[in-house]
Amino acid sequence: MKIIKEAIAGTLESSDLLVKVAPSHDDTLEIILSSEVIKQFGQQIRRVVDETLQRLGVTAGSIIIEDKGALDCAIRARVQTAVLRGAACTDLNWEHLS
Amino acid sequence: MSGEFDFYTVIPAQAPDEAAEIRQFLAACHLEMDGNIDVFVVARAGRRLIACAGLSTNIIKCVAICEDFRGESLSLQLVSEIVQQAAERDHFHLFLYAKPCNVPFFRGCGFYPLVEVPDYIVLMENSPVAIDRYCDRLRMRREPSDKTGCIVINANPFTLGHRYLAQQAAAACDWLHVFVVSEDASFFPYSDRFKLVSQGLAGIANLTVHHGSEYMISRATFPGYFLKEKGIIDSCHTAIDLLLFREYLAPALGITHRFVGTEPFCPVTKKYNEDMKHWLQRAPSPAPAITVVEVQRTAQDGTPISASEVRRLLASGNFDAIKPLVPATTLQLLISDYAPDTTRRPGIYG
Amino acid sequence: MKLRRSMLFLPGANAAMLSTAFVYKPDSIMFDLEDAVSLREKDSARLLVFHALQNPVYREIETVVRINPLNTPYGLKDLEAVVRAGVDVVRLPKTDKPEDVHELETQVERIERECGREVGSTRLMAAIESAIGVVNAYAIATSSKRMIGIALAGFDYCVDMQTERGDGTELFYARCAVLHAARAAGIDAFDVVYSDVNDEEGFLKEVDLIRRLGYTGKSLINPRQIELLHNAYAPTDEDVDYARRVIAAAEAAERDGLGVIALNGKMIDAPIVNQAQRTLQRAQASGTRK
Repeated sequence: MKIIKEAIAGTLESSDLLVKVAPSHDDTLEIILSSEVIKQFGQQIRRVVDETLQRLGVTAGSIIIEDKGALDCAIRARVQTAVLRGAACTDLNWEHLS
Repeated sequence: MSGEFDFYTVIPAQAPDEAAEIRQFLAACHLEMDGNIDVFVVARAGRRLIACAGLSTNIIKCVAICEDFRGESLSLQLVSEIVQQAAERDHFHLFLYAKPCNVPFFRGCGFYPLVEVPDYIVLMENSPVAIDRYCDRLRMRREPSDKTGCIVINANPFTLGHRYLAQQAAAACDWLHVFVVSEDASFFPYSDRFKLVSQGLAGIANLTVHHGSEYMISRATFPGYFLKEKGIIDSCHTAIDLLLFREYLAPALGITHRFVGTEPFCPVTKKYNEDMKHWLQRAPSPAPAITVVEVQRTAQDGTPISASEVRRLLASGNFDAIKPLVPATTLQLLISDYAPDTTRRPGIYG
Repeated sequence: MKLRRSMLFLPGANAAMLSTAFVYKPDSIMFDLEDAVSLREKDSARLLVFHALQNPVYREIETVVRINPLNTPYGLKDLEAVVRAGVDVVRLPKTDKPEDVHELETQVERIERECGREVGSTRLMAAIESAIGVVNAYAIATSSKRMIGIALAGFDYCVDMQTERGDGTELFYARCAVLHAARAAGIDAFDVVYSDVNDEEGFLKEVDLIRRLGYTGKSLINPRQIELLHNAYAPTDEDVDYARRVIAAAEAAERDGLGVIALNGKMIDAPIVNQAQRTLQRAQASGTRK
């Protein structure tokens, strides 16, 4: 899935996260994660984000995440929503989303 | 389950009564109402206005929260809402002005400090890497040179005055970088201004013409610039713009000198040139000082050439008087696209 | 017999509430994709609920999702998401006639087959929000074997009736009609939400009314209302004593192979025994009434 425009999903409220995606300038994938719980959960969050992007087939783009202590299920949902919005995709493939 | 507070949007131009209430609320929080807010997000507890945040294009301003409600939850909801409003208006790269004491809070909202006018104001943006990526791209256009100059022009439109300034600067340096202000807030659209600068500077070998950016004389870094015909000058914003140049853009390109034309007519530009000497050369900063060089304006029959004079003459269709002030390429475009009967266009700023 | 006294509404777009609501322990949790979600967040709420349903914290609690009506651009996508995510019950809003449920059931069955979920395992409930819905309540209640209950939704119903929410007079007929339809069909009946979360007294008065009418439970919009409701539905100590004696008599009759259950010389039939089981179930869940 290709990110063709900027998009956001989520909020900055506690237990949520704000995800901002943008097309890549040089066809690389850049993920920037900022979290209040980066010390304890940084690796775990990063793993969930990587896995979610991989399943969606996102190989290029800028993904900026501001996490407020969200559960994995919220992280998956917000990353997916931002990517789908950025890819202008409305045809959902549930196999890739679960 | 529902939230404690009611959030909704107010478009000040369409709701004068609510705008007046917001103005009062801001005043109570020691903030001034900005005249260019497209939309406010306000929060109420019952009927009481307890928080607001404004959006001006892609800049968040006028953020205030009633002291009794300064908990994390309200403020984070407020910023989330204004970010959503920006997204709905297709603005994703956002700037925000904050008092230095509020930086930690906005840091928690995904905004990162760019530059600070100490004890006064901080410009933040909602990306930890955007400015670095921009500087990376600039760095790729760096030229081997010891004395590296820079000029930033709006060129509204490009005149022989601009060409003279560039010639003088290029002659004084090993290499010259010319930036064209990219904000589309002038009479001539950016695409035309950039084209005229590129054409008008053809033949000067040691220079590069660059597209401007949001980090340089833009609504975000220097909103007062585009209001200069209203005579509004805000010195803190010249500082923000100049510090960004000194701390990010200049080091990326190795710029050592900044050239400006002397400006006898326009108070904004005159003030900007004076501020330039302070913030680029004298003010304390982690970045090296940049020498400011003022170049005497070239004159035609004793009157210095200015773009505003060209626009004045254009309004009356006086192409004979314009001809000695601009290069042939500019004159050609003015005649073909901007003759007075075709000049009724939306651009209103100088 | 599943206890369904409290059904807590959660706005589907709110990650924080979705992540924490299970701690309040309502009998059922209802994620809302319809009225509580703005148009701009329909897509994000659907994905949030999709993943929340699969979160282990919701394994122990009955999950209900109110989808958007199927005649909107969102309804079918919502359904795809929640059936695949393993929701227990799909709540159809604005149900006017049994055909609305048939249409839903056809789609649910298709999705169950496509994703390999046991056909029939997705249960349904319908919200009745109009005069025609109330008139058709029994047909709706019996429209599918998957139906677990019907709910009255007060706001839209009152608009349709050209009246407004007040002291309950305006809901008099609808409450009785929906309840009768549900009981005749052998399914649960859920009362309207009480929206003024600060008016505890008014809430308890309404709860008392619907409990005495015979409602299974009520939709709630604030977790604070859960305990109040559970306590109001809890039996008294006397109720529990009596229920224990009924059950003991039933067990004795069963043990002795008697066809007739007797307590204190009076004959007791099956509905009384069921009632006693419900009483003990409520007492076990929330103690006796305080």
